[in-house]
Amino acid sequence: MAGDVVKVRFRRRRLVQVVAANLFRYLVQGATRSWARNLGGTAPALGSMTLLLLMTGLVGIAGFALYNLEQVEAGQASLLHIYLRDDADATDVFNLQRQLLADPRVASVDYTSKNEALKRAQRIPGLPQLADSTDSNPFPASLDVQVKSIDDVAAIDESVRNNTAVDPVYPSSYDRGAYQRIQNVLFGLGIAGIAFLGMLGFIAVAVTANSVKAAIHARRDEIGIMQLVGAPRWMVRGPFVIEGAITGALAGLVAGLITFGLTLAAISGASGAFTRFAPGVTLPVAAYASALVLLVGLALGSGSSLISLRRHMES
Amino acid sequence: MRPIARSRPIVQFSRVSRAYGSRLALDDVDFVLDPGELTFLVGPSGAGKTTLLKLINREIRPTNGQVWVAGMPAHELPASRVAQLRRRVGVVFQDYKLLPRLTALENVAFGLQVSDLKVSDEEAKDRSRDALEAVGIGDRTSAFPHQLSGGQQQRVAVARAVVAEPPVLIADEPTGNLDPKTAWELMDLFEDIAAWGTAVLVATHNVEIVTRLQRRVVTLVHGRLVRDQPAGQTGRMAWLATS
Repeated sequence: MAGDVVKVRFRRRRLVQVVAANLFRYLVQGATRSWARNLGGTAPALGSMTLLLLMTGLVGIAGFALYNLEQVEAGQASLLHIYLRDDADATDVFNLQRQLLADPRVASVDYTSKNEALKRAQRIPGLPQLADSTDSNPFPASLDVQVKSIDDVAAIDESVRNNTAVDPVYPSSYDRGAYQRIQNVLFGLGIAGIAFLGMLGFIAVAVTANSVKAAIHARRDEIGIMQLVGAPRWMVRGPFVIEGAITGALAGLVAGLITFGLTLAAISGASGAFTRFAPGVTLPVAAYASALVLLVGLALGSGSSLISLRRHMES
Repeated sequence: MRPIARSRPIVQFSRVSRAYGSRLALDDVDFVLDPGELTFLVGPSGAGKTTLLKLINREIRPTNGQVWVAGMPAHELPASRVAQLRRRVGVVFQDYKLLPRLTALENVAFGLQVSDLKVSDEEAKDRSRDALEAVGIGDRTSAFPHQLSGGQQQRVAVARAVVAEPPVLIADEPTGNLDPKTAWELMDLFEDIAAWGTAVLVATHNVEIVTRLQRRVVTLVHGRLVRDQPAGQTGRMAWLATS
């Protein structure tokens, strides 16, 4: 069938395309070009930020390892060994075990005989000689109580301490204050870590904000013209935020890669020892930490740009 | 051609004062500007001419009084709506304020597109080319600012100011850096723009232009509007003796 070719114009789609193209050109392309042009001015901020983010990443991983260490310690400290008299009646032991199992604060109760205690001791470095030095078995039978919360260990210990089945001389493994001391040390380290990270964050924001201030100064004519011809505020500020984000993302990427590389080297270099000193720090964790460093860089870069824009650009 | 609506002023100042610290730059000024009107704003240095222009473009707010521009209350306009007002006001400066890295065509298109993202590349180029032709430099569209003379640069600046067809055009000493011949050509251009319905307000020290063109002249002295002479009754510019 003959006829004219009718071109249908998708007005709305066309409009979206035009707006998207203009946004891309003036915000993203403009920011990228300007960032590359001002690389000399941005380099100090980029270097400082990379260093700060790297330290943040490493401190973060160390903090994560310390947290896990604390969890391991807490788990061990919440396992209460109640030592039984050698001549304890089986019924008394059974009743004590029932009493403990009925306690809602208790997760589990396991019985360890004298023989099992001896075998366990022989696996601990230094103790086999002690165990072999005497004909009799010096290790008492015990009820191993896993307490749900570390805070209840003292109360459980107190409730069974005078039981007839319990050894009156050395009733349990509970060491009042030992866990508290560990907690105090870790709490102090945590506070120091947070303060250190806060200081690093402040320096990173200040450094990037200054670099954005320099970029604003270098492009004040362009900004002035944009403002005078009626460019909306976000249009004027957008490229600077993107420039800050580029700086932050690049610094984050480099710092993240170095963090990942160092962690990888530590894991493979120290082998089993690393797991003992830094429990939970695995390759996936290192990858997450690196990704987090990248995101923090991105947020720091764009956030500090915004702060600088608010301070140095008229509304 | 756009119809010229003469019923409503496009710029209106009602008892406007503006102070910088303790110094009063504008003092109780009443003033209206109608569409299609070419008006000269004259006065000695420090009389408040630039302050008045800045109030129109909402670069500053008045200390007292009301400033209405193209139906918008510039005196109480929040920062979020300033861009909207500025799209209705074209601005020309003595020092042109062109972006050195962009060609003449790109400078004009830049002004058009950053203020309205809905303008496509093709449309922006077409309109910018038309604007540059209208101001008489259609043959220099691909030249960079440093390759143009002062007069040509000012023409590009005018093209940028009018390409979005704002109802108001303000110019602060636009002939300050131009030779007399080019200055006259620029004035011819402003007359043409006014004839198309745009209200044009030109702050100037150029006596010859003001007296010979016989357009409306508003005189400011020490921040006060001391004389508002209608077109054809300009007379002598006595204040110049003291400026």
